[in-house]
Amino acid sequence: MNIENAKSQMRKGMLEYCVLLLLEHRPSYASDIIQQLKNAELLVVEGTLYPLLTRLKNDGLLQYEWQESTQGPPRKYYALSPEGHKFLEGLDTAWQELSNTIYYLKNVTPKLLEAKD
Amino acid sequence: MKKNITINLCGRLFQIDEDAYELLQQYINSLRSSFGKQEGGDEIVDDIEARIAELFDELRQQGIEAITIEHVKEIITRIGKPEELTGEEGEKQQESNGTNWEEQARSAGQKIYENVRARVAGKKLYRNPKDKMLAGVMSGLAEYTNTDPVIWRFLAVLFTLCYGVGIPMYIVMALIIPEAKTPEQLLQMEGKDVTPQNLADVVVEKEKQPVQSPSVIRLLFTIFLKIVTAFSVIISIIVCIALSFGFFGVLIATVCAMVLPLNSTLPFSLGAMGLEGAWISNPKMLIIFVIALFLVLLLPIYAIIHMVLSLAGKIRPMGIVQRIVNIVLWLIAICIAVPLGITIANYQNEYYQERYQINSTTTYQGVKMNEEDADFLRRGDWQLIKAQNCNHYTWCGDDYLGSNDVRFLDVYNAHCKEEFQVERREKVEPGIYQLTCYARAEGPGTFVYANSSEKILRPIPVKPDSVEGMGWYPITIDSIVVNSGSIGYGMSSYQAFTGEPCRAKYFSAMDFKLTRIADLQNKK
Repeated sequence: MNIENAKSQMRKGMLEYCVLLLLEHRPSYASDIIQQLKNAELLVVEGTLYPLLTRLKNDGLLQYEWQESTQGPPRKYYALSPEGHKFLEGLDTAWQELSNTIYYLKNVTPKLLEAKD
Repeated sequence: MKKNITINLCGRLFQIDEDAYELLQQYINSLRSSFGKQEGGDEIVDDIEARIAELFDELRQQGIEAITIEHVKEIITRIGKPEELTGEEGEKQQESNGTNWEEQARSAGQKIYENVRARVAGKKLYRNPKDKMLAGVMSGLAEYTNTDPVIWRFLAVLFTLCYGVGIPMYIVMALIIPEAKTPEQLLQMEGKDVTPQNLADVVVEKEKQPVQSPSVIRLLFTIFLKIVTAFSVIISIIVCIALSFGFFGVLIATVCAMVLPLNSTLPFSLGAMGLEGAWISNPKMLIIFVIALFLVLLLPIYAIIHMVLSLAGKIRPMGIVQRIVNIVLWLIAICIAVPLGITIANYQNEYYQERYQINSTTTYQGVKMNEEDADFLRRGDWQLIKAQNCNHYTWCGDDYLGSNDVRFLDVYNAHCKEEFQVERREKVEPGIYQLTCYARAEGPGTFVYANSSEKILRPIPVKPDSVEGMGWYPITIDSIVVNSGSIGYGMSSYQAFTGEPCRAKYFSAMDFKLTRIADLQNKK
C-alpha cells in the first residue's frame, strides 16, 4: 500500500467538506478557492475543483453570481445556498463523529486494553 | 523564429505561438470530449478556460509577451490531464451508485474492454490518416495489429478478386472505423499514452510533415464515403421513427391486453388480437415473446439515437464491445421472437380446432355432437336444418332465469362462423298463434323465426337491457296465421335462410311456447 495513494484518497474524501467550509462565511471565486486549498495542500491538480463546484451547484448546495473584477473578465462568485448550509451542518456532525472515533481509537482503546491486562 | 497568433480567451486577447495554440486547443477539445457526457460538462470546461485566461494574465504581468508551448505544458500539468479530472468525479459517482446493477454491468464491461485493449498494447482501432491509399483502413488495421500494411493491402486485393467481396467489406469498414483526426486519437491509434508531452510531440510533428497532396481517386472516395454516410444517417432516422411507432404500438397493445378482460370485444384485448389461445395454453411463451419483441424494436432505436447523437458530437461513439454486445443481444432477441411468433400464430388455430372438436361418437341426424346435446335435441324433437362450425349445441348454466341447472339451445364459435338452424314442427288446428321464447345473442345476424303460411323472422336483441341477467330477453312473435296442418319455429343464423351474415360468437334460445290466440274466422 502506497502511503501517497492513501493520503490522496483521504484528501479526496475531504475535499467537498473543505470547499463548503471555505465558502461558509465568504463567497469566493474559483481561483481564490484553489489558492486556499493549495495552501492547505489539499489540491494536487487544479482542474479537479471545477467538476466538483459544478456538481455541488447542480445539487443545489451552491449558488453563484457574476461579479465584475478590476482585472480581467467577470468572475463567478460561489456561495452556500440555504440547503448548502444545512448540508454543511450535517457534514460538521459527521466530521465530529469521525474525529471522536479517531480520538477514541487512538487514545481510549489502548488504555482500556492496558487496564484489562 | 515561430509564427505567432492572437487568440481571444474569455474576452481577453493573448499572443501565443502557433504550436502552443494547437496544444491548447487540443487540450480543451479533449477536456470537452471527456466531460461532454456528464451533466454540466460544458460549464466545467468554460470555467477551466476562464482559469487558463487568468493564468495567461499572470504570465503577462510577469512581462511575458508571447505564450510558448512550454507555458502551455506547464499550465496543463497544473490543471491536470482529462483522465485525472474525470477520474476523480467518476469514482465518486461510482461509489454513490454502487448498488446500481447498470453501473456494475457497465464497469464489468469496461473491465473486459480494458483487458482486450491491454492485449493489443493499449491501442484503439482508427483509420490511419498518415499512410493511406483510399481511406486508411488497411494501414489502420496494420497499426492496430502491429503488422505491415502491405499484408493487409494484399489481402484486400485478394478479397476483391473473389467476386469483389472486398469492395463492400472495405466500404463498411471505412464507415464503421473512425479516422484518427485529433492528436489524441493519433496517440491512441499508436498505443501511446495521452500525456501533454506526447500531445505536444504530435502537434509539432504534424506541423513538420508536409501536407499529403490528395490524389483524385482518394478525393473521390472521400466524397463517396461522405455521401454514403449522409444517406445512411437519413435512412437510419426514418427507420428509427418507424421502429418507434412500432414500439409504441406494441406497448399500447401490451398494456391494453394486460388491463382488458380476456374475451373482451374491445380492440387490443387478447381475444380480439387472437392471442387468447396462446395465453391460455402457454402464458410464459407469450410473455417471453413480448419481451423479445421489445428488444428487437428498442435495440436498433437505441443504437440509431446513439449514432446520431455521437455524429452530432453530443456523446462519445459506442465502444467496440458495446457495439458487439448490442448486435449479439439483438440477434438473440430475433432468434427468440421469430420462432415464438410462428408458434403463437399456430397455437390459435390449434386452440380453436381443439375447441371445435367434439370428442364423441354420438351423432344426431348425421351431426357429430356430445351425448347430452344429442339427448336434449332428441327429447325436444328439434330438427337440425343446418349445423356447421358449432363447437356445442346446448349449454347449461349462465343464470338462465335465475337458475344454473337449466339446459338450453346454445351454439358457439369464436370467429362468429357458426351456421346453425333448428326447427320444431307442431301439428295445430288452423287459427292465429303467438310464439314466445327467451333468447340472447352476442352479435347481430341471429334470429328466432316462425314458419307457416309466411316466414316471420324476429332478430334476437344484442346486449338488451338485460331483462333476466346474462343477456336473456323475452321475444314474442304475434299473429302467426296457420291455414292448415302445422307450424314450424326455431332459431337460425344460417345466412341462406335469414339473408344476413352471422356476427355473433354465441346465441341461445329457450322456452318456445306456442299459444292459440284467435280463430281464423274471427280475424276475417
